[in-house]
Amino acid sequence: MSANYEQAITLNGDLHARPAGALAVAAAQFSSAVSITAGASSANAKSVLAVMGLGATSGQQITVSADGPDAEEAVGAIVAILLEATRVGT
Amino acid sequence: MSLDARVGIVLVSHSAALAEGAADLAAQISGGTVAIIPAGGTEDGGLGTSSARVTRAVKLADSGAGVLILPDLGSAVLTVRVLLSEPDDLPAPIELADAPFVEGVVAATVAAAGGADITAVRAAAEEARDVRKL
Repeated sequence: MSANYEQAITLNGDLHARPAGALAVAAAQFSSAVSITAGASSANAKSVLAVMGLGATSGQQITVSADGPDAEEAVGAIVAILLEATRVGT
Repeated sequence: MSLDARVGIVLVSHSAALAEGAADLAAQISGGTVAIIPAGGTEDGGLGTSSARVTRAVKLADSGAGVLILPDLGSAVLTVRVLLSEPDDLPAPIELADAPFVEGVVAATVAAAGGADITAVRAAAEEARDVRKL
């Protein structure tokens, strides 16, 4: 069963290279298409370079969305990584 | 191939420092679960490329899922091409990526860490040329 799911969060730190890498590795574990939207830009969450290219910074609201059989799990996992990995501003 | 095997990455650069630095950066971004082996410079420590260094690096990088090689410029590409023309003693599959060096290794390593096969890891590296920084 395919599904759409999305969740908006506010970043606690900048979406730098290391959190972008952790996020892309995690997104690859799901079969759903996963994307991150920041302002007017959207990126495939499985592409570390595209995620870095968003240039998302602390305090910015971003939306994690997924489309596919494991969409809800994917969004949950990515949101958890974003909250954890951006907390220390790495 | 074991279930946990990840595609290994080899960085071939004219400069040992450049290959080592790019490997360090990619390891940190990708979480350190992928073998990223630098093969930079000549055997005597100068600028250039060494077929023997690349051969050793490829063997170290392989854990059963194959190896993707990223060259920096010019003779690094030629050195790898000559090596791959007689791949009998090398791990398989082994492929050469046509990709930007820094962006390519970061994208390839993250894809490998996510469990991608060599075709997808190479594609991730090669797509790096189309991703804008700004």
